[in-house]
Amino acid sequence: MSDPNAPLYRDTSLILSASGVTKSFDGFKAIDDLNFYLEEGELRTVIGPNGAGKSTFMDILTGRTRPDKGTVVLHEKDGHDRDLTKLREFEINRLGLGRKFQTPSIYKSHTVYDNLVLSLDHPRGILAALCYRESPADRDRIMGVLQTIRLQDRLQALAGSLSHGQKQWLEIGMLLVQNPRILLIDEPAAGMSDEETERTGELLLSLEKKHSLIVIEHDMEFIRQIARKVTVLHQGHVLKDGSFEHVKNDPRVIEVYLGRQGKQNTTNPLSEK
Amino acid sequence: MLKRDNHTEFLILAVVTSLLMLVPLLNAIGPAEGFLSVSAFQVSLYGKYLTYAVLAMSLNLLWGYTGLLCLCQSLFFALGAYMMGMYLMLMIGERGAYQSVLPDFMVFLGYQELPLHWKPFYSFWFAAGAVLWVPGLLALIFGFLAFRSRIKGVYFSILTQALTYAACLMFFRNDFTFGGNNGFTDFKDILGCDLNADATNRGLFTATVTLLVLTYLSTTFLLKSKFGKIQQAIRDSENRVRFSGYSTTSYKLAIFVFSAMLAGAAGALYVPQVGGVNPSAMEAAKSLEVVVWVAVGGRGTKWGPIIGAVLVNFLKSFTTQAFPDYWLIIMGGLFVVVVLFFPDGVTGLYRDAKAALNKRRAAASPESA
Amino acid sequence: MRTETANKHPVLFLKTTRRAWYGCSAVLCLALLPALLAAQEERGAREVFADLILAQAGEQAIWVETLSGYGDPIISEVYAAWRAGGIYAFESDGNTRVLMQVNGDGWVAVRTGEAVQLSEAAIAKLSKIRPSRKLRKSMKGLIDTLGLKAPDPATRIDSAIKMGRSQKSEFIEPLRKRLEAEPEEQVQAALREALAISLLANGDDAEVLLAVTDLEEMQSIPAKDFIEKVLAAETAGKGATTELAVACQSALKSIESHMKTLEFYGSFFRGFSTGSVLLIVSFGLAITFGLMGVINMAHGEFVAIGGYVTFMVQRAFIDVWGIGSTAFEWYFIVALPLSFVVAALLGLLLEKSVIRFLYRRPLESLLCTWGISMVMQQAFRLIFGAANVQVNNPGWLMGNLNYAGFNMSFTRLFVLLLALVVVFLTWLLLRKTNLGLHIRAVMQNRDMASGLGIPVARVNSMTFALGCGLAALGGAALSQIGNVGPLMGQAYIVDSFMVVVIGSVGNLLGAGLSAMGIGLVDQLLQPSLGPVMGKITVFLIIILFLQWRPGGIFPTRSRSLED
Repeated sequence: MSDPNAPLYRDTSLILSASGVTKSFDGFKAIDDLNFYLEEGELRTVIGPNGAGKSTFMDILTGRTRPDKGTVVLHEKDGHDRDLTKLREFEINRLGLGRKFQTPSIYKSHTVYDNLVLSLDHPRGILAALCYRESPADRDRIMGVLQTIRLQDRLQALAGSLSHGQKQWLEIGMLLVQNPRILLIDEPAAGMSDEETERTGELLLSLEKKHSLIVIEHDMEFIRQIARKVTVLHQGHVLKDGSFEHVKNDPRVIEVYLGRQGKQNTTNPLSEK
Repeated sequence: MLKRDNHTEFLILAVVTSLLMLVPLLNAIGPAEGFLSVSAFQVSLYGKYLTYAVLAMSLNLLWGYTGLLCLCQSLFFALGAYMMGMYLMLMIGERGAYQSVLPDFMVFLGYQELPLHWKPFYSFWFAAGAVLWVPGLLALIFGFLAFRSRIKGVYFSILTQALTYAACLMFFRNDFTFGGNNGFTDFKDILGCDLNADATNRGLFTATVTLLVLTYLSTTFLLKSKFGKIQQAIRDSENRVRFSGYSTTSYKLAIFVFSAMLAGAAGALYVPQVGGVNPSAMEAAKSLEVVVWVAVGGRGTKWGPIIGAVLVNFLKSFTTQAFPDYWLIIMGGLFVVVVLFFPDGVTGLYRDAKAALNKRRAAASPESA
Repeated sequence: MRTETANKHPVLFLKTTRRAWYGCSAVLCLALLPALLAAQEERGAREVFADLILAQAGEQAIWVETLSGYGDPIISEVYAAWRAGGIYAFESDGNTRVLMQVNGDGWVAVRTGEAVQLSEAAIAKLSKIRPSRKLRKSMKGLIDTLGLKAPDPATRIDSAIKMGRSQKSEFIEPLRKRLEAEPEEQVQAALREALAISLLANGDDAEVLLAVTDLEEMQSIPAKDFIEKVLAAETAGKGATTELAVACQSALKSIESHMKTLEFYGSFFRGFSTGSVLLIVSFGLAITFGLMGVINMAHGEFVAIGGYVTFMVQRAFIDVWGIGSTAFEWYFIVALPLSFVVAALLGLLLEKSVIRFLYRRPLESLLCTWGISMVMQQAFRLIFGAANVQVNNPGWLMGNLNYAGFNMSFTRLFVLLLALVVVFLTWLLLRKTNLGLHIRAVMQNRDMASGLGIPVARVNSMTFALGCGLAALGGAALSQIGNVGPLMGQAYIVDSFMVVVIGSVGNLLGAGLSAMGIGLVDQLLQPSLGPVMGKITVFLIIILFLQWRPGGIFPTRSRSLED
């Protein structure tokens, strides 16, 4: 149960703790007795080979999939603990967990501006939606986020007409206007140019401390840019976690990434270029 | 910019409404012969088309804006029709073939007294309420079960089709107390007005136009509100909406129930104008016909369903008389062509034509660009 | 009457209807004619009867004795004519021939069965022969028990049961005699049952008691009413506690429970056969949807194509060989593969012209194929008329298989068999052929399959054609148990869609299970709820089932977000 590298963070309180989480699909254990703890304000990077259970883990955190066993607890600011495995997606989201999907998921027939309006963390009931009138404060907040994601010139464009990178940014923007406590970000740099990737990294780093972040990524250069603490998933459980350098040189991690040939191969797959 | 669009839109609505109101006006004071004459038959016929237009609009709310291809819209329509029909049947009183207080089919089936659930329908207002809440309640229960278990896309269509099929079977039964396969017919009057009188026809037509305008306005209001935007967002990416903290189940349920009520209201106005209703009105094929109207007119547009419903039904009236054997083939063929080549329907064609025209104009006068 | 009698026999036997008898009497006679009868048939029953008619009054008794050894149904026919005054003697060339008048003006020689043409003059010379009162008396017993000696065991069983139910004391002796001579086990059982029922009314106390216990053992359903009568008489006379009354009560209880069991199995069987049709129809649907993401609303019309092809093949066979011919018996065997091929070709055409634009757009495909289904329906109406067309069962599909008193019609059994064959062939196709490999590859990952050089477009066409062909097979099968008309597919299409939804899309095992499940539940509910409420209840169960398993029986787990 105890995290080997925990002492570094023990003085700050946890925001999320998943313990003993297991989920199997038709006999295949996608997640196997997974324990995962996230500190308030922490930026955590999760890596792992294909099929390691990264996406399933995200699904469990956000209520898209129910685990067979185990608990996922969100520690609220007021001291209440909420078991997320009992809640539905929208309820979890309202508690402050925002998720960005691997493939950009945005409302393609709405304008960029409306995409953000719909993501504001206002009451989400039907009556509230019918009576909603935009306040100047909302507008300011949206314009601010548009600035951050550099789409301020395209606010009336249909989201479907944006480039792939811009869509990724828009989805991040949609998370930002929700002002969530935890951001789950799945491969933010996929399909982005080098420059966009770099800027994405800067953006994520700027969010650290204000929000807690879990970032799943494959791009090693990008990970190197943003990595604070890295968790390596393998076959549904945590293989290793610690600093990027520490993890990168761990022989077990190298073997997992390379398989058997890894021993003869001199190039470390985890080192960039 | 937005303001001016609004003005144009309401101007168009006003023009269309006044054109429609010409129908009863000409029927009342127009000439008996010639181009400007409108017969009582035509008033009822056009009235029927307009109830179809409302029905198409109710489907458009689901299919066009929320992405739910609902195949039980004809069921809701027929339920509304049946609720109003019950009132109309009771208003026949002792003028039926058997001169009994009971509706003829009940006398025929040997009923001694009116079944309990028929009794409140002596009141017009109760019937008018039932026209809304009966389809609404069915939509609520079915929608709750379907949306809760995340049935969507084709599965939703298939299940709604099955629901219609099941209900249709039920209404075909004699012991279901709704007249079996003959349904309701031979109405005499509504709210004390003779249904054969021209004035009553004009009144019903006017009521239908009112319903159409109200439906149009409420659609406009919905689309402008955040609710409408969420509705469209559900169509594009339901999971994103869910992960943005909205309970998509309740949103879909709300729009499903609202749409069912609209369809019910349209059905209620259909019955007195057509003079009867029977279970064939809720056959699954009828629901698909509604889909055809919306598709031909252009789904996801405000005018599309109205244009589609009126256009296809005019075409139907014409072809069923001119080539009775080929109507189904024409309709089926039309549908295949629309789905394959004109997915945006008539309004889409108009939009494309306008865009092409603008482009040409822009090309012709490069300095203005 | 026929079904009643068939229910009585707790043993396997073949029972055919009259029409079937014409079709396969030759085969049946050869196979089943008892050796005993074969020995006597050296001189035909017709010849013996002709001799009897011409015999002197004193010799007639001997001829009647001889004739009583025969079971040919012709005997009762000739005798009926004789009694009614339709038998004439005809003198020509010194020979006396016996002629029978048929249909008012036709003539048949009794001795040979040949039709005879007579001139006006010849007719004037005919002299009518009538049986004497004494002869009629001795013939009556012979005619009444004639059925017991019929070459067809089913007829023997029929007549045994009829005689038993009449409870006439004079039949007890012939029944006993026949029981000794009867070689067929099933017929023996029927004879015993008939005897016991007869004895209920005619036996002494001990015999009645024995008969009741025998009938209990046989679980004889036709005896139920008679035992009830015995019980009522006994209770009225001596009270409800006598040995006989108790035996009666126990027998009744046992018979009633047997009836319930039969009813239950009957529903079960009907459920399986309904399920089989659903299975054949929905297999095609499941394959096309699973593979191409295309919902084929015109699937029901391909079912109708199967029915119409069967109809046309039947008509062609009638035109060429005539309806009673042996060749006609084969028409259905020809129609089955042909309906598959015709529908598959039409499916191919449809796929090439329309469907291929609609891959992975289920909603559009649903709408488009619905348009096509309307066109096809109307085309059927224009070509074949709006009314149902008549498709006859071939002789070998008529009649019932009876097992332990439980009737299964050959047509329904055949459909079950066909479903098994279809499942097996589809499995073979998907698992053992190259095309199957390709189909499965495309099903799992279209882009990857295409990248690996699998001709995806061709696989799609073939699969769609396969789906349509299967639908038509279902239609051909349906033509034997239901109506063939422009809307025949519509009745099944809603159920088939349910099967696909419940069985999880594209999962053939799921489709099979859910087809059988829906068929069973439907048929098990029907006796108590009626067909309409039964259907509605099935629908409600489906909705509730989906609450529990939204993805069907075998949900596919997709990793993509918007699926």
